[in-house]
Parts: sequence; structure tokens; C-alpha cells
Amino acid sequence: MSVVALLEADTLDPQFELAELTEVARGDGAIVTFVGLARPESREGNAVDAVVLDHHPTLTRQSLEQIAVACGERFDVSHVRVVHRCGTVPAGEPIVFAGAASIHRRAAFDAADYLMDRLKTEAVFWKREVGDAGSEWVEPTEADFADRDRWG
Amino acid sequence: MRIRLYGRLGDAIGRETEVDAPDGSTVADIRQLLTASHPAVTEALARSRACAGDRLVRDDERPGSDVLEFLPPVSGG
Repeated sequence: MSVVALLEADTLDPQFELAELTEVARGDGAIVTFVGLARPESREGNAVDAVVLDHHPTLTRQSLEQIAVACGERFDVSHVRVVHRCGTVPAGEPIVFAGAASIHRRAAFDAADYLMDRLKTEAVFWKREVGDAGSEWVEPTEADFADRDRWG
Repeated sequence: MRIRLYGRLGDAIGRETEVDAPDGSTVADIRQLLTASHPAVTEALARSRACAGDRLVRDDERPGSDVLEFLPPVSGG
């Protein structure tokens, strides 16, 4: 089982990340990926130009690794790949790539779901939406925590 | 003691600040000093975890480090 967890300051190319995952998963039967994009609208309905992700110099990368490793240990997957942006992400651009490969599809679906539920609530980032209406810090919702808690 | 702040706390107070914490101060003592000097972030500070030397520390602990960090609730994805 292999795990990759990366913090990217400049760019995140989902096609490249999928190609990397596909390359190592040639002995498997399934790949499931999720790509999260910077939303162009806030929960309050304001236009968002960019999402700014503040991060910690050591804890952020550690949190990505811990979540990816826990995923690999929990599900019957061969490869886990997590890539997360930090810094300024223009609306519509990718913020996160979460992917898993497995012999059969169910484990890969579950693994990608698990990765995102934990990343949303536990990855060490502080997220700020910036637009004409100003700047707003965003925290996980009750629904995000409920999603995370499904995994026990 | 040097204090490092992230997210909304860094936005409101600045990335780094200092508090004049007496020897033997616990995290709770330092949190209280910071709250007293920046009452506008009382609620955000109360919901923040403290971290010293890349380790989360409880409020009844002494930081054991020259720098204490406060981490507001996190959100990735």
C-alpha cells in the first residue's frame, strides 16, 4: 500500500494527479477520485473571487499525512493520494484532490468519501473567502461534522 | 512570551505578538492575558487549541517553549 500526501502552494492539476495515481494502480481494478473546487459563492450568497488557505508550517502537512495513512489502514485500498492547495485559490480552481485505488470499487469509493470527510473537518487549514462583500472566515458546518462522525 | 496566531486570530491580532507572562504561567494564564489585551477575539480565542513545539497542549499545562501558538477551528477541503 502506498500513500502520497502533498501540500501545494502554487497549483493543483487534477489530471496530473489522476495520471500519477493511475500509473501506480495498474494492478488494481478501480480508482475513485474527488476534486474540490473553490466555490464562486459563499453560504450567504455573496460572490467569492478567491479562497485563501492559511496553513501551519508543520502541522498542516502532518494532518494530511495522518488522514491519508489512516485511510490506507482502514480500507482495502492499494494507493491513497491526497493533494491540497494552500495560499490563494481563485474561484473555480481546484483546492483538493483525494483519490484511492483498490482491486474492487467499493473500497475506493469509501476511501475517497472518508478522506474528504476528515479533510473538511481535521486538515489544518484556515479558510477565508474573499470577494466584493469583503472577507469571511469559513469553518466546518454541523453537516460536515456529522459526515465525519459517520466513520466513528 | 511570543505568541503565534493563525486564521481569524492572525487576521485580528497579527501573525505574531508578545505577552508578558510571569514564569510558571500555564496555557490558561496566557490565554487570559491575550484575551484581556484583545477582547474583540475573546470568543475565537476560547475556541482555539493551543500548541507548543508542534504539540497540542492543555490549558493546565505550561507551554515549555518560547513560542505558544493558538489554532482556531480548522477547515480543509
